[in-house]
Amino acid sequence: MRQLRWLVAVVCVLALMAASCGDGDTAGEPEAPSGDTEEAVDEAAAPDVGEDGPDTEEPDTAMDEPEDTVVDEPVDAAVDEPEVAVLKTGLGVDPATMTIRVGVNTDLSGPFATLTTPMADGHKVFWEWLNDRGGVQGWTVEPVILDSGYDVPKHLENYEVMAGEGDESVVMFSLAIGSPHNLATMDAMREDHLVAVPLSWYSGWADPDIGSQVLEVQTSYCVEAMNGVTYMAETYGGKWALITWPGDYGEDAAIGAKLAGEALGLELVYDGQGAVSPAPGADHTPVITEIVDSGADWVWIAASAFQTAPIMGGAFQAGFQGRWAGSGPSWNPALLNTPVGPLADQLYTHNYYTVLWNASDSQGMQDVVAAMQEYRPEAPFDDLYVLSWIQGLIASQILDQAITDGDLTRAGVEAASKKITVDLQGLAPDQSWSGEPNDNIVRESYIYDIDLAAYTPGRTVMDEGNNGIALIKGPYASETALNWEYEPCFLAS
Amino acid sequence: MLGRPRLYTAYRQEIQLLPTWTQKTVFAAFVAVLVLLPFDLPVIDHIPVIRFLGDPEWLRPMAKVLVYAVAALGLNLLSGVAGQVSLGHAFFMGVGACAAVYLGGTSGETTWGHSLPIWIWLPGAGVAAALLGVVVSPVAVRLRGLYLAIVTLGLVFVGIHLGNTSWGQKIAGPPGLGREFPELDLRFWKEEVPLVDVGGDGRWLWFDVSDSQKRYLFLLVVTLVLALVAKNLLRGRTGRALQAIRDRDVAAEVMGVPDFGYKLVAFAVSSFFAGVAGALFAALSQRVVAADFGLFLSVEFIAVLLIGGAGTTAGPMIGAFFVVMAPEFVGAFTKWLEQAEGGLAGGLSRVLLTEGGDFGVINTTIQTPGWTLSVYDWNVVLFGALIVVFLIVEPLGLFGLWVRIRNYWKRWPFSY
Repeated sequence: MRQLRWLVAVVCVLALMAASCGDGDTAGEPEAPSGDTEEAVDEAAAPDVGEDGPDTEEPDTAMDEPEDTVVDEPVDAAVDEPEVAVLKTGLGVDPATMTIRVGVNTDLSGPFATLTTPMADGHKVFWEWLNDRGGVQGWTVEPVILDSGYDVPKHLENYEVMAGEGDESVVMFSLAIGSPHNLATMDAMREDHLVAVPLSWYSGWADPDIGSQVLEVQTSYCVEAMNGVTYMAETYGGKWALITWPGDYGEDAAIGAKLAGEALGLELVYDGQGAVSPAPGADHTPVITEIVDSGADWVWIAASAFQTAPIMGGAFQAGFQGRWAGSGPSWNPALLNTPVGPLADQLYTHNYYTVLWNASDSQGMQDVVAAMQEYRPEAPFDDLYVLSWIQGLIASQILDQAITDGDLTRAGVEAASKKITVDLQGLAPDQSWSGEPNDNIVRESYIYDIDLAAYTPGRTVMDEGNNGIALIKGPYASETALNWEYEPCFLAS
Repeated sequence: MLGRPRLYTAYRQEIQLLPTWTQKTVFAAFVAVLVLLPFDLPVIDHIPVIRFLGDPEWLRPMAKVLVYAVAALGLNLLSGVAGQVSLGHAFFMGVGACAAVYLGGTSGETTWGHSLPIWIWLPGAGVAAALLGVVVSPVAVRLRGLYLAIVTLGLVFVGIHLGNTSWGQKIAGPPGLGREFPELDLRFWKEEVPLVDVGGDGRWLWFDVSDSQKRYLFLLVVTLVLALVAKNLLRGRTGRALQAIRDRDVAAEVMGVPDFGYKLVAFAVSSFFAGVAGALFAALSQRVVAADFGLFLSVEFIAVLLIGGAGTTAGPMIGAFFVVMAPEFVGAFTKWLEQAEGGLAGGLSRVLLTEGGDFGVINTTIQTPGWTLSVYDWNVVLFGALIVVFLIVEPLGLFGLWVRIRNYWKRWPFSY
């Protein structure tokens, strides 16, 4: 009997727990979201936005308009009613309830969950905010958010659910993370006429042979490095060292950095392309030794903050006096809370693809700050919200265009994405996916100085100001970037 | 002797594949259900859970269960039956995937490949992994237990490093992006039109079959064949020798069981299974990415064995089903609770779910990890918790639970 009781107890526990087992295999995939988080700049800009609750209403009303920036018609639900009648709709759209579903296939339990979970939340805020202000021409947009755990098979499984016909079918992906993940679904997306906004700045996405269904956003790792290297050379001298992760992120940046280095005739004293190991706890001594021995004026790093901190700190201790700069994901403001903080304050130059939290008073920044204050007052402030806001702007403007064109099917949305220029409202350079990639790719990036004095950990979106950075230049495109004939820098197979 | 489960009058009878008619019937019915599962059929559609698993969106997790089952059967031979703890299973899977893509993939500017048909690349994946298993096996003769686990753990890191070298990239594709994997289509040689088209929708005989149904059926056949191989190995001379080594290798050697030879066999066969599973795993992702075959994958298979029950053929398969499907069920259950109104489900939903603030433990909003946990975080936590619970309470795993239940009812109403 006692055994039986044991058995019953175990079965009950099991039944209650009802399961387990996260999926997220894989580790150390460089790709997208690693890297940066909260930052902000320009204290002068902040007070206008942050301070008080009532403030949020003003941007709201102002905000309804930007929706129609790409079309010439006003965005008024009532006016559009007759248009709805002739609108073609298909999977992912429910005309009865005027609901459009967009997909978010992201990592909520895997290695990037700490970065991508707030992003998914920020993205939800965007749609809540927009729906409360009339949605897209009166249509409510509902994000379907599924977790891949950064696992390719699970990503495909989610894809099949959202590409299918059930109540989780979507009309486009407003976010789909992971490079191998998006490559694995590319053929299926082409067949299903689905497009996806990635969270990766890999230069190959702009090439139709590689990423025809991916709506790449902002500049690439490759072009960012061209701009960053040019700025560093102009400011701190011509002897430089390069250290990066292997793979689509690190080596994409490495190739761009070298293109700029050659164009400017710089002296590359240590070439560590692919030399930095992404593995947690890896030994960086060889890389540090090479940097110290090279006598470089400055180092370009394309890795994650987990490598930036020990390498920068280690080289400094070993007597290296040069400056540091790196691709966006190499920096994380949380480093300012570590012993490397003071060093970074003096020696590090941060590069990024967008304006950072509170770093400008553009329309887009006012909206994202106000919306976060209204809908998630307890959230810590974070640039990831800027990124998720941009994804929302892209998806909403594409849907708006599709409705205006009278075709809200997947094919219609795909067609709309190929003719539109999205207005990112000052958060990042505007972007288009029509015509030749060479005419479309974004060549501007943003360069920031690290400012330890401005950094206070643990602040929420209700607080003003700055996350430890100050804008030096941006949007900025170097000569090399402007003259560069587009091709994927790092080649996928 | 019909209906007397534990009564055998001959040794040959005892080691039969399916000793009783009941078992034969149940097994036949089980296989029939598995085969018919993805189709819209009147009978199948009325079995609640089965119907559910046969829905198109559940076919991919089911396919993953089959791949995991193959890999777990392999690890079971090595760790469960022969007692050689290995954390290097993911390495052998990676070797299998790389060998498969090398043989079956297309060659290009940045990649090596021979575009060979599946009947070469799938066994080839197993053979390549088995050869490496043979190379590694002498280590197992010198080391035991924890030390062997650590040596095999090293293999995983060596594997990922090799995948990132310039030669490795020619096979496994650039790190972070990976490389396209060949379809499961059956060809005689390199002809354009495959003999059996598994990769796309189309007709098989008189039936319209979708690509996910085809993939599932293909994997089912491979899994059943390999399960049969594993079972046969287990009930014969080799199986007995491996178990003797597991229980005490010195004693086994004294009794005339060659330690070296059988450990070599265990490594080779286990790696063969791993290699085939690795190739199928990549086929499921339609991509090989070297970093996918990391330590976590190895740990997952240890969990499959612990939860399912090591040392049996059914255990790893039950474990694979549980480990792959449990998070899916938790997700589906939470979604069902979220939509529930009133009744028992409504009550449960009020107790368990929260949007922050009240006392539920499953947070339905999306938030950064922290209390309360979201359903995704719960899945990760429960994965670890279950391993601990099983190790302490039921070391024989789910299979052991089943044996206990069976024994209880066999004795009922007596306790002993």
